[in-house]
Amino acid sequence: MQVSETVFLISFCISASILFLMFIKAITRNPIDPSEAKGSTIKGIVYSFTAGMSPLKKETANKHWPTYIAGICYHFGIFLGFFWLFIHVSNISLVSIIYSFSRFIFIISIISGFGILLKRIINKKLRYLSNPDDYISNTLVTGFLIISLLNLYTISLRPLLWYYSAFLFLYIPVGKLKHAAYFILARIYLGLFYGKRGVWPLAKEN
Amino acid sequence: MAFSKRKLKTDKHLTENQKKGLDLLDEKLSGKLLTHLNSCVHCGLCGESCLYYLYYGDEKYLPGNKVDLISRIYRRYHTVTGKIIPGLVGAKNFDDDTIQEMIDVIYGGCTMCGRCSMHCSVGIDIAFLVRTARSMLAEMDLVPEGLQSTVDTAVKTGNNMGIPQEDYIDTIKWLEEDLQMEVDDPNASIPLDKKGSKIFYTLNPREPKFFPLSISAAAMIFYAAKESWTLSSHFYDVTNYAYYSGDDKIGALITDRLRKEVENMGAETLVLAECGHGPRAIRWEGPRWTQKKYPFTTITLVELIAEYIRTGRIKLDPKKNTEPVTLHDPCNLVRSGGVIEEQRFILKHAVTDFVEMYPNRENNFCCGGGGGQLSMGEYAERRMDVAQLKADQIRETGADIVVTPCHNCIDQLMEVNKDYELGVKIKTMAEIVADALVLD
Repeated sequence: MQVSETVFLISFCISASILFLMFIKAITRNPIDPSEAKGSTIKGIVYSFTAGMSPLKKETANKHWPTYIAGICYHFGIFLGFFWLFIHVSNISLVSIIYSFSRFIFIISIISGFGILLKRIINKKLRYLSNPDDYISNTLVTGFLIISLLNLYTISLRPLLWYYSAFLFLYIPVGKLKHAAYFILARIYLGLFYGKRGVWPLAKEN
Repeated sequence: MAFSKRKLKTDKHLTENQKKGLDLLDEKLSGKLLTHLNSCVHCGLCGESCLYYLYYGDEKYLPGNKVDLISRIYRRYHTVTGKIIPGLVGAKNFDDDTIQEMIDVIYGGCTMCGRCSMHCSVGIDIAFLVRTARSMLAEMDLVPEGLQSTVDTAVKTGNNMGIPQEDYIDTIKWLEEDLQMEVDDPNASIPLDKKGSKIFYTLNPREPKFFPLSISAAAMIFYAAKESWTLSSHFYDVTNYAYYSGDDKIGALITDRLRKEVENMGAETLVLAECGHGPRAIRWEGPRWTQKKYPFTTITLVELIAEYIRTGRIKLDPKKNTEPVTLHDPCNLVRSGGVIEEQRFILKHAVTDFVEMYPNRENNFCCGGGGGQLSMGEYAERRMDVAQLKADQIRETGADIVVTPCHNCIDQLMEVNKDYELGVKIKTMAEIVADALVLD
């Protein structure tokens, strides 16, 4: 095993441990809610991850289709990047069509990443909300996608991928990238809230 | 990275009052709060969900900024990055400037309607974070004067309008005589303190003070349904403005008083009068504040009327209401209370021409009077500005009557009606149902 790969694995373990601790902390210490339920919390949580996330129901999606689609492509690319890290660590061989498909996704994802970054820079509303971490996180992740793409063409850049990914994983718990750990919980808590009160699932649509 | 204890608690730059606010944040730092504080990605897509941002276009009203007003303080005092390199993650000191900004937006620029939570791309309960920020400010005695005085009046007198008990009893007796004449039955009554009644009914103090006809309407419905019910002469207030101010301790005190009164009357069911935040506070927040489960069932008047219609306990003739009617959904009742289809079911039985406003149900816009705005004179101009959206919604329906099961919304809509010259009538659900009642 190369030094760079070892550095990456250590960094990954540290990051995963911190995120795991954050996750554990975020599922504990909740006060008891003795109110009588009107609806079902389970159904609320299921709805939260299904219809509740439908772009047709959310103005944050259906009033911003280009940004929404770019965001989806960006995240798809990120998950693909993590998948390839696993493949590289495991030394598994994949058929060439997966390489071709991945290259295509990475390119779309990189374009999306730059688009989102550009929007953050030129849009007054986003600049108002942003702090340095927002720009750094976006840039770091887009860089990760670029290096992941290049690694599908040449093995010589593998050490760079390991070192870069090591840094990225260490940065995740520091800034907003930690939403990776909190996103699922946020949707669970929202599902619990609306489910218990009988708001979700919706009986009828608008 | 989050830590359980705030290390800068003894920071010499913090005043005693500021420490009180931060201590409250420490105290409230549950798993749910931690999750929502750490989830915002500053995507900025939430603007269109907020009536303040839609009207003013000012970034300070972005729901994402409202999240940031509290999460930046959390980051400063509870995360390693926020303590070491606050500038990197936008962590801010809890100083006077930050606090003034919070008061202006958290109280004066948000009705806690929760529309942004429903649409947040991540799923952050933004209204919950705003209320937590209000709790911090309430702990520091920084609640705007008008809102605090409403809370104080409720604590001192038992109702938020400070109605003396004798005046209240006189009003109820007068309304009872009126009811007897109306239904031509000397036995018709508006019971007061009748122990052993099945239903304990609450009122919004605005009813005995300004809108007694809505009490008559509810009494008429109970009469038609041959219901066993009572009002209390002591604690009858359905509102709990501590929900708006952010003060959980006072919220618990008011809740406990009502709970004890219902128990004292031996009622099986507490029926919550037409109000948005009141039913929310009593039904959902009260048990959490007091950490006690109610020994009785709690439902809203809207749900009860729908049940009466379903079970045939009351009969309605929609031909008695032929003017076009639209419905304004109170945010706390609909988005945070799950009472969504019942009011539509009632209107379909009570009127001949029901027109939905758009958007509606869980996507409806606040009237502008929620979040305690009606009691905060400081922000009255903003309240009427942002109501333009509601005025446009109402105008587009072409309705002559706007029905809403919330007295807070009624007050705001009456002002909106006048200011925006809508020329509509505003009614409660009980009033429109009473108009359509067919008495045996």
